[in-house]
Amino acid sequence: MIKQTLLGLAVVVAPALAFAHSKSEATTPANGATVTEVPELSMRFDDPMRIISVTLTSPDGDVEIERETGMDPSTEFRALPLEELAPGSYRFDWRGMASDGHPMQGSFSFTVAE
Amino acid sequence: MTGLAHIDGLVVLAIVAKALGYSAALLAMGGVLFAAVFSQRAEASVLRLARQLAVGAALVGLAVLAVRFGIRAARISGMGIEGATDAMMLGFVWESPLGTAAIWRGLGEVAILALLIPRFGQWIAMAGTVAVAISFAQVGHALGEPRAALAVLLVLHLLAAAFWVGALVPLYKAARDPAGAELLHHFGNVAAFGVAIVIFAGTSLAWLLSGSVTALLGTAYGLALLLKVAIVAVLLCFAAFNKMRLVPALRTKKSGAIRALQRSISLEMLAVTVILLATAIITSVTAPPVNL
Repeated sequence: MIKQTLLGLAVVVAPALAFAHSKSEATTPANGATVTEVPELSMRFDDPMRIISVTLTSPDGDVEIERETGMDPSTEFRALPLEELAPGSYRFDWRGMASDGHPMQGSFSFTVAE
Repeated sequence: MTGLAHIDGLVVLAIVAKALGYSAALLAMGGVLFAAVFSQRAEASVLRLARQLAVGAALVGLAVLAVRFGIRAARISGMGIEGATDAMMLGFVWESPLGTAAIWRGLGEVAILALLIPRFGQWIAMAGTVAVAISFAQVGHALGEPRAALAVLLVLHLLAAAFWVGALVPLYKAARDPAGAELLHHFGNVAAFGVAIVIFAGTSLAWLLSGSVTALLGTAYGLALLLKVAIVAVLLCFAAFNKMRLVPALRTKKSGAIRALQRSISLEMLAVTVILLATAIITSVTAPPVNL
């Protein structure tokens, strides 16, 4: 019963924005941007963030990326695509933990044009 | 909605576990406080119930603490529920403020089990009660600035709330005892101070974490907090009605007074449950306006 209520609440407020700490101040590529090439994927945070899992997905499935930033808390995260990204839309998702212990997650999307 | 985190199945599980953890902590602390404050006035059977409640709640609290570690590890891992037992993820949680809070909470709840030891056990349990209250000041937005003020206010808020919540079950039983009316009357007088502390500390915390009244209306945190305050207001109405009408009726041995008071206390328990659930939602998926 409680679960249903909470899930109902979740549905009502579905277009939920990211959490306060997940103010990933800036990302490369920028969220919603159309770019011709993606030499790197990066995010900057206003407070050190321990980024634990990252995924880059295209309509064809997961795309392999290599993390340059390890799992230690950092205000800057960098990863590189293993291969040149083909034209199409991409979404980068991450999960982690803020310095106050809150579980965090966020995402940004971009399009690669010819 | 501003300042609301993404909600999925694991988050719902985390909220339910957190609310259960709050209940266990408040009942454990409250049972100890009740047994200490009313040691001279309550009947032996009522005191025994308060101690049993504290010990049972402390055991549940310890189990919930372990479960919450797993849920937190699963949430940060991105692996789903499998992350709950991943050593590396559990290590990250342990290193986070949740680890520090867990040490305080765990030691506090173990110390509360000392109620089982006659005589000096209650002093160990009292130290445990304070440790459990302090544990809450080790995580989340209580770590913001001004940290000392936030910590002191939160500890006071919790001790006063625990005193009230932990007294409900023993008082429910006491309503039937011959000497129960005097105990309930005395509780009403002591609780008036407790309520004042809950409201003062709660309002101060809300003010420090919100920054402005307009922030309350435009954010998920603010709206959820207003909902919580509304339920607290209902709870206060029950408490006031008990103190002004039902307890005096019990003292004059009016017929039906026992049942009316017990029903009212049951509704208070229900209100407390909703309040703790609302609090778990607020502290899990919303961020205070000052942190936005």
